[in-house]
Amino acid sequence: MGLTDAIKKGVFVDILRGMSVTGSYFVAEKVTVEYPKEKLETYPRFRGAHALLTDPETGDTKCVACMLCATICPSRCISIVGEQTPEGRSRPARFDLDLARCIFCGLCEEVCPEAAIVMTRRYELATFDKNDFFLEKEALLANQEYAHKELYSRPSPRGGGAEAGAEPDAPPRVSPADEER
Amino acid sequence: MSQAAAQYIFLVIKAVLMPVLIIMMVAFIIFFERKFAGFFQGRVGPTYLGPGGSFQSFGDIFKLLSKEDVVPERADKPTFRLAPYIAFIPAFLVMAVLPFGPVGGEPNLFGHRFDYVIANFDAGLVLFLAMGALAVYGVVLAGWSSNNNYSLLGGLRAGAQMISYELALGFSVVGVMVMTGSLNLVTIVDGQAGNFWDWYFIPQIVGALIFFIATMAELNRTPFDLAEAEQELVAGHLTEYSGMRWGMFYFAEYVNLVVISGLVATLYFGGWRAPFEVLDFIPGPLWLFIKISILIFVYMWVRWTIFRYRYNQLMSIGWKVLLPLSIINLVITAIIVSVVD
Repeated sequence: MGLTDAIKKGVFVDILRGMSVTGSYFVAEKVTVEYPKEKLETYPRFRGAHALLTDPETGDTKCVACMLCATICPSRCISIVGEQTPEGRSRPARFDLDLARCIFCGLCEEVCPEAAIVMTRRYELATFDKNDFFLEKEALLANQEYAHKELYSRPSPRGGGAEAGAEPDAPPRVSPADEER
Repeated sequence: MSQAAAQYIFLVIKAVLMPVLIIMMVAFIIFFERKFAGFFQGRVGPTYLGPGGSFQSFGDIFKLLSKEDVVPERADKPTFRLAPYIAFIPAFLVMAVLPFGPVGGEPNLFGHRFDYVIANFDAGLVLFLAMGALAVYGVVLAGWSSNNNYSLLGGLRAGAQMISYELALGFSVVGVMVMTGSLNLVTIVDGQAGNFWDWYFIPQIVGALIFFIATMAELNRTPFDLAEAEQELVAGHLTEYSGMRWGMFYFAEYVNLVVISGLVATLYFGGWRAPFEVLDFIPGPLWLFIKISILIFVYMWVRWTIFRYRYNQLMSIGWKVLLPLSIINLVITAIIVSVVD
């Protein structure tokens, strides 16, 4: 041990340096988010519980029961029974989604040609009853309120721009989620 | 009322009031420890119970009281039950010799003399050293009686830790004794009368630092908390303790923290005396309280900054650095004092 080392240890250089680091944290702004009281905004690509979107003009579900989501789902958590409307358009009679099996991969949302099934920002899914994880069509439609706002500016897959998406008065803006697609 | 009767009444008042005040202080120190631990790590600490979370300790106490008190079947039961008290009582006994205001002189309360110390007796420092050595028995016996390997290792470490810091602790205090010529804490505080540059931490800076480091080991606080090294020994000597029995150990640790901070303040930072003579109108107990609070904050700061020293590192610090330094400090102090006199 050299003389400089001995002097350094004698006047506690390293310890004081460490204490200055913790001291700076002591006065710094704290990073804690006190969860139930305050919640973080989710990112636009956050994958929470699913929702089925409705067409804002007709109020009908956008889903056409094409079964693509049920087919691509790696955990087979979606099951659909289709039917025909009097006008000849197909729509789901039943649309069941088992969240307990879902792995939240988002493939259903990506594959949907109608942009009908989306993943929302709803992440507080804990429940006391396992049956609550089994979402039927009504629950999925009700989940719309949690859908990401960015979705509303998404152009419809069948063309026609933002007005065919949803919310006619939503500001047309490009979201990060769009640029990915 | 005769002088003697008044002194007895005062003694009872002091002997009741001081532990109660320190216990109240400890409840908030535990809260501040957790709060500051959060602050030092960029968190916010407890926030829920009471304003800013300040009643957290009381919530903890009620939780501990309501928990099951488990005594291991194969444990040495009488010793297991005794150990928390052995850790607890020495911490309280040292309070008795800690002066928290002026002692002696003119009658100052209802025509009687109120001494701001519970026991003004000559071997105060020896009592502190003896009780400090005794408190280790609480840890050692807890480790031994739990019949658990982790506990036993914790107890052994506490014993080995004690012999490596206790000598340096004793020798560093001798410097102050030599300067005052007394073991009485009241006399030691009187020897530091005046402004803050008359306090002993300036001539005894080496002794003060050694004493501070050694007390950190005595308190089992983090650079030297080998006895309950969570990462290695589960909780060391506390592994088998639960409920309020565990709470007693925890509590004793913090009573010790207050008392030893008071002792550091008394020995090296002028005790209850104001840093400037013009500030003498502020009562002594308040100054002692301020000094204790600052020292406790420093103890917390060190605890949440430095990580645990290894077993052999503590040994070499104790035997190879602190002990020789404290002896050199003592010799130099003795030479200077005898030359000046």
